[in-house]
Amino acid sequence: MSARILVADDNVANLELMLYLLRAFGYAPEGVADGVAAFQAISCGNFDMVVSDILMPGIDGYELARLMKSDPRLKGTPLVAVTALAMSGDRERVAAAGFDGYITKPIEPQTFVSQLQAFLPAGPA
Amino acid sequence: MDTAAYSLADIAGSRFPLLEYAPDATVIVDPHGMVRLVNAQTERLFGYYREELLGQRVERLIARYHGNQFEERSVYFADPQVLPMGVGRELYGRHKDGGEFPVEISLSPLSTTEGTFVAIAIRDVTERIAFQQRLQELNAQLENANRAKDHFLASMSHELRTPLNAVLGFTGTLLMKLPGPLTAEQERQLRIVRSSATHLLSLINDILDLSKIESGKRDLSFEPVRVEEVIADVYAALSSSAQEKGLDFTASAGAQLPELVTDRRALHQILLNLANNAIKYTPTGSVRIDTVLATWQGSPALEISVNDTGIGIKANDLQRLFEAFEQLDPTSTRRFEGTGLGLYLSRSLTLLLGGGLNVVSEYGTGSTFTLTLPLVGHTS
Ligand SMILES: Nc1ncnc2c1ncn2[C@@H]1O[C@H](COP(=O)(O)OP(=O)(O)OP(=O)(O)O)[C@@H](O)[C@H]1O
Ligand SMILES: [Mg+2]
Repeated sequence: MSARILVADDNVANLELMLYLLRAFGYAPEGVADGVAAFQAISCGNFDMVVSDILMPGIDGYELARLMKSDPRLKGTPLVAVTALAMSGDRERVAAAGFDGYITKPIEPQTFVSQLQAFLPAGPA
Repeated sequence: MDTAAYSLADIAGSRFPLLEYAPDATVIVDPHGMVRLVNAQTERLFGYYREELLGQRVERLIARYHGNQFEERSVYFADPQVLPMGVGRELYGRHKDGGEFPVEISLSPLSTTEGTFVAIAIRDVTERIAFQQRLQELNAQLENANRAKDHFLASMSHELRTPLNAVLGFTGTLLMKLPGPLTAEQERQLRIVRSSATHLLSLINDILDLSKIESGKRDLSFEPVRVEEVIADVYAALSSSAQEKGLDFTASAGAQLPELVTDRRALHQILLNLANNAIKYTPTGSVRIDTVLATWQGSPALEISVNDTGIGIKANDLQRLFEAFEQLDPTSTRRFEGTGLGLYLSRSLTLLLGGGLNVVSEYGTGSTFTLTLPLVGHTS
């Protein structure tokens, strides 16, 4: 069974890009456009991985990471940041918030999905 | 002034004009704190005629908040020496009309035939304090402006990368032919989109780097770095563009290079810029990256040189080369895209790394840019 992946990004084009790439590589990801929707989805759904932007209205990526990592049921789910925050110090801040992975925008379309796969517990779909 | 042979009346007289016309208000008091002599500036500063002050306690002129005024007086007479006051203390002069103003005071012993007195020089520091306050305000404003600039840079970086992600991303998916096949012409045009967007990204990065370096915000982390790895990375990043131009591109890391303590990212960026230029400005022939051990400023150093057989640089252009936004031969800008930031950034980064960046070139024949980095010690 294909891994269940949630993707959160408030930028429509970037959300679509990530969903498109994941689908092209055989996944059936679910997309949400902000942190609040992301946290609702994560709390109900049973995701194998969460891919999230950082700067989003409502609950931002940092907050989402703290919420997930302080919830015993959710903290084991791999959480990967895909963000345009790419200045010095950003990687450390993202890691400190609890993210397991950090990918900067612009992403590499050729390698994006395999970069994410590295965080999935099971192998590729 | 040596006054030991004179009386107070002598000192008040024309023998010591410096006292009467001193720019500071000068008050001479006896060991009991009584005013015995004042100069012209005292009258001006405090608004009294001197007859009104003679025989009065000096405290009439000086106010101090918190604590006893002139508590140092007795101490002073026990150990007479020049004793500046008012530094770190809140001392105020008191005008006849009741107004107070900040002063700085210095005390010095005055020997006379009638015994030792104290000369008190009083300076109105209203203006200086106002000036210091203004300076503090300006500094605070500057700090705010710097913070605003940092914030601006961070959001610029984020806001520019966000749309570029979609541009480069979907160009990539098209070129990967994920949505379907492409005609040769569609593919060619998409490659142009991709290379232009990549170029735009590198401009953004350069400009952000530049402003970080200029505001001293570029953080370096010095660590042991294997130079051959960095060279291999640079080689891998550029070999396809060298190949496209049909250039013979080689990188030979000499045998047994010692580990260099430096900032890996900065080193990578410098070499990438140099090799990128070498490829860009070489129509035919070769581009070579070499490393040798050398001596620099009397210490062991590593020289990494990037040599090309390209268009070369005229002797009188050599010093302009490393300036920001400098591009030689304006007519060529249509042929070679760029901002003229690459070498300026590389030189700035080299200086941060404690090294040197030099060029030897012959117009029409080729150029060699040499980066020299010290092997021991580094500027932190
Ligand atoms: N290897 C080289 N051979 C000949 N000319 C060179 C070489 N390297 C640099 N130059 C000249 O020096 C100028 C400044 O180089 P620099 O790398 O700073 O800017 P650029 O390459 O024009 O733009 P970019 O900011 O994109 O690097 C170039 O415009 C070019 O005229
Ligand atoms: Mg250049």
